[in-house]
Amino acid sequence: MNETDRLRAAIRATEPDDRGRFDVDTIMRQGRRLRRRRRVVRGGAALLSVIVVAVGVAAVLRQPDPFERSAQPAATSSTATTVTEPTVGAATPPPARPPIGTVLSTGIRYGGDERVFYFVAVDVPRAPEVTIGLVAGRRSVTGALTVDYLVNDVEGSDRRPGFHELGYEPSAQLLPDDPVPTFGYFVGPATRIIGSVGGQRMDAELARWSEDADVVVFWFHPQVLRPGQRLDGILAWDAQGRRL
Amino acid sequence: MARGDAEFVEFVQAASGRLAHAAYLMTGDHHQAEDAAQTALVRTYASWSRVRRDDPYAYTRRVMINYIVDNWRRPIREYPVDEVPHQRRGDVADEVTARRWLQIALGALTARQRAIVVLRYLFDLPEQQVARELDVSLGTVKSTTSRALEKLRQNLVELPTAPGGDR
Repeated sequence: MNETDRLRAAIRATEPDDRGRFDVDTIMRQGRRLRRRRRVVRGGAALLSVIVVAVGVAAVLRQPDPFERSAQPAATSSTATTVTEPTVGAATPPPARPPIGTVLSTGIRYGGDERVFYFVAVDVPRAPEVTIGLVAGRRSVTGALTVDYLVNDVEGSDRRPGFHELGYEPSAQLLPDDPVPTFGYFVGPATRIIGSVGGQRMDAELARWSEDADVVVFWFHPQVLRPGQRLDGILAWDAQGRRL
Repeated sequence: MARGDAEFVEFVQAASGRLAHAAYLMTGDHHQAEDAAQTALVRTYASWSRVRRDDPYAYTRRVMINYIVDNWRRPIREYPVDEVPHQRRGDVADEVTARRWLQIALGALTARQRAIVVLRYLFDLPEQQVARELDVSLGTVKSTTSRALEKLRQNLVELPTAPGGDR
């Protein structure tokens, strides 16, 4: 008997024959909740007529479960090495604004849809120098854009050097099929961005914004960083290997 | 109960045992395995009206396997034997030996290698279907399987008996 025969036999021999270990009612309840959340996402366009007051750190279309609602996007300082939770934040519907500049492709696909990032105009009371927000959206095969998540600054200037607000998948415990990768933007000559979680370091993917070469959009591929996983820290380097 | 819900309940009762076993083989942890299987079943129910007419078992299996591969990065360091084997299905000693054998065999593999081993040798899927379910190329499946089996040869060469294989 070779190793594959042994393996097959061992796998079969250890298979329990008990059934019904799962609470089907709980599964169906969670499934209905997930289905509702997906409908909310799909129905995002219907929300676009809502008057937007962009006072939030992020606009989350996917409504997290009640037990996940404390999970808000994180804010970072311009020279952040440690990621801190925001002190302000309120979920608001995303604005019905067209993309400003190029829609950035990521190559991350969910069936026919592709994850994309793009900037839109925002209007933040008491922060007149914040005029753009970064959207994590999906582009269908027809080119239609769907907003999943909008993140923008709530104070200061959207072009100050350094890291700006980070966007996280809000459903950290039960991920949808199309989770939002952790993303954000950096202002400065960054050519490499590394995040860290629990001592592990992971590289972000970068793309420069067509309208301002100082603005570097970054995201962590879901296979590199689990969507919803909070970063402990994030750093940027320039082409000469200098930390920014 | 709606007809679709009744079908789903029936599906869970029929499929959950093997799905949970597959998840356990991949994670080596009963709690993680049940979490993965339940997550996959929740997602299946969320899409039940669409997938019930297609192949819900394949859909759930694909969701679960990819969920584990994507999220379970830690290598198996322990492969606990915390269940009493089912005595009515054969000799207890055989099953204990089989569990130890699996502990060594699967503990040496990466998450993706375990996924391929489980799909190939528990679900008996052909290589092309494994490639589709994991969204990798056929060549990747072949080479990963080859590397996994080579690891098995290296790790198991000294084991004297064939667990559960002589019945």
